Amino acid sequence: MKRVGGSSAMAWLFGASLVILCLWVLLPLYLLMVNSVSTPDQIHGWPKRLWPEISFDTILFFWNFQGVAQAMFNSIVTAVITLLLSILLGTPAGYGLARFRFRGKNLFRIMVLMTRAFPLPLLALPLAVVYLQIGLDDTLIGVALVHTMLALPFTVLVTFSLFLGIPRELEEVAWTMGCTRWEAFRKVVLPLAAPGIAASAVFAFVVSWNEVFAAAILTVNNQTLTAFLVQSLDESPVHLKFAGGLVLVLPALVFIFAVRKYMFSLWGIASR
Amino acid sequence: MFASFIRKMLPGLLLFSMATSVMAEIVFYSTQARPLEEAQRMRDQVLSGFSGGVKFLPQATGTFFSRIDAEQQSGQVTLGVLGALHGQFPPIGDGLDSVDDVLDELADRKLDTTLVELGRLGSGQQVYVPWMQATYIMAAHKKALQYLPDGADINSLTYAELTTWGKNMKQATGQPRLGFPAGPKGLMHRFLQGYLYPSFTESVVTRFRSEDARTMWERFKTLWETVNPRSTAYNFMQEPLLNGEVWVAFDHTARLKNAFARKPDEFIAFPAPAGPKGRGFMPVVAGLAIPRGAPDRKSAVRLIDYLTRPETQIATLKAIGFYPVVDVELPDDLPADVRIAGQAVNRQSRATDAIPSLLPVGLGDQGAIFNKVYSDAFRQIVLRGADVEQILNRQSSALKRIIKKSGAPCWLPDKSSSGPCPVH
Repeated sequence: MKRVGGSSAMAWLFGASLVILCLWVLLPLYLLMVNSVSTPDQIHGWPKRLWPEISFDTILFFWNFQGVAQAMFNSIVTAVITLLLSILLGTPAGYGLARFRFRGKNLFRIMVLMTRAFPLPLLALPLAVVYLQIGLDDTLIGVALVHTMLALPFTVLVTFSLFLGIPRELEEVAWTMGCTRWEAFRKVVLPLAAPGIAASAVFAFVVSWNEVFAAAILTVNNQTLTAFLVQSLDESPVHLKFAGGLVLVLPALVFIFAVRKYMFSLWGIASR
Repeated sequence: MFASFIRKMLPGLLLFSMATSVMAEIVFYSTQARPLEEAQRMRDQVLSGFSGGVKFLPQATGTFFSRIDAEQQSGQVTLGVLGALHGQFPPIGDGLDSVDDVLDELADRKLDTTLVELGRLGSGQQVYVPWMQATYIMAAHKKALQYLPDGADINSLTYAELTTWGKNMKQATGQPRLGFPAGPKGLMHRFLQGYLYPSFTESVVTRFRSEDARTMWERFKTLWETVNPRSTAYNFMQEPLLNGEVWVAFDHTARLKNAFARKPDEFIAFPAPAGPKGRGFMPVVAGLAIPRGAPDRKSAVRLIDYLTRPETQIATLKAIGFYPVVDVELPDDLPADVRIAGQAVNRQSRATDAIPSLLPVGLGDQGAIFNKVYSDAFRQIVLRGADVEQILNRQSSALKRIIKKSGAPCWLPDKSSSGPCPVH
């Protein structure tokens, strides 16, 4: 990569912003982890130490907390279904918007965003009534459908601009060489778009993982982790908040770490 | 890689997610015992003894009401028993089954008759069965005791003495050491309604802007000078007490519990102070109700029966610090926090100058706005230094509107009225 500017002042500025950005992300995570393995006395005590005495009591409390494991499993299942549904529905929509001209295309693009125009607490009650009537209530697929609705606008718009960025000529070359439309999409466009699709998949996963309100109202026996913990965490002592925060953050971190390869290659595409 | 992973996972995931759990457990939906540790103790120490299986789901009030509403509208009820505070039942009144028959079965329990009466919500039938009760008290670090004004008895403190105490601590340590839960989720409005107003005016509604009320606000403004300004961020006073920011605090027993439990040798509890009219205090009652159309009413009734047994009431007290609503001898082996708080609760309710005041009754969905009248008055007068009379005039007309709209008759400590409670 070419150095921007080249003067040492610029290099310093660059380095400093890099450090600040890293701290911005890492410091809260560090505090979360340190405090969740500290004893309550240390958390309330003063002065703070950079390296605490390790105590796993608080974390163990969570581990033994009735239903946490099941709720975490529910959360993962819901998030994965959300991810799949929003990719399976959103990617074709994005492709269609990028490649075809049809009547009401602009209206469609706005309508896609409209689903986010209504706050969820407003939608949750009628939604819950309908869910109860048609038997979707208290199922993970039901919660995942709502989360898909929340994630879909982003998936559609992200993949739309993604496909716009991939030259149509590449596809046309594939057609002239004997590919059908589908084959051209699968063999030429999809590999190029994969990082972007993965990024919007991560987004869908995180949307589902973080959503509390709908999940709490639509489930009774099959609560997701956020529905199960967030409301109670809000009123729990500080040391439990730290540990609970870690429990909530960790799986999402692991997931993003697992797909990081795709995210990095997304930046590769953008700078090309 | 991604695609093949998806292909392998999809059918299993879909199948799993559609298989609804087929459990015979009864769902106990509650706005109480929400903090994680309390929910855990509720399950382990209280509900584990119930034969038949029960799923305890503590909920934020928003989801609690929405879920009940949705189930009533759709006619598909999955919740078995509802546990909530007295003031939370009126908004869901239509969705509740009468529990007159349950109460008949509990005749041997010696339930507190005042609380049973409250459970009718002013209607002809029993809406909820009393479950447990708590109240608000004061807590202090033992370090603070040396600054008590001369001649003051901590168990029969007055607001004037509390002010001097706060002043002494501030002078000696250079920091304001009094604390109130005036944060966004704090219960400051209950202090104003149940403690300050009754102590100075022997009223909550009727004498809202009386001469006594004006004196009260002026005095409280003076007291606030010795209060830690971070109070407007405190929701649970146990936290600032434990980390030493505050030495003397007022809060709900459940929100002071951890301070007593964690450092029983350092903290003491004592009754709220008294004003010119007496010692205002507010008992908090939680009740058990059954939603209309509950799936397994028999189990619901059995659960209510179980929860009101004397031994379960003691277990509940040990687990979450809420006191029994049935006549029962308290055992000697209570945990430290219950022992410390229990003594203060007892002294407070049995004080010769006690003025019990109830949580607002009959306000329906106006409850939240009612609370806002008091916390806004506090914010304007005490925090922003606005003119007392002007604010009280403005807020009293808001109060009048709320009372008129809900048609609520007076409740304690106001003298009972035939129509809507008058605001003078």
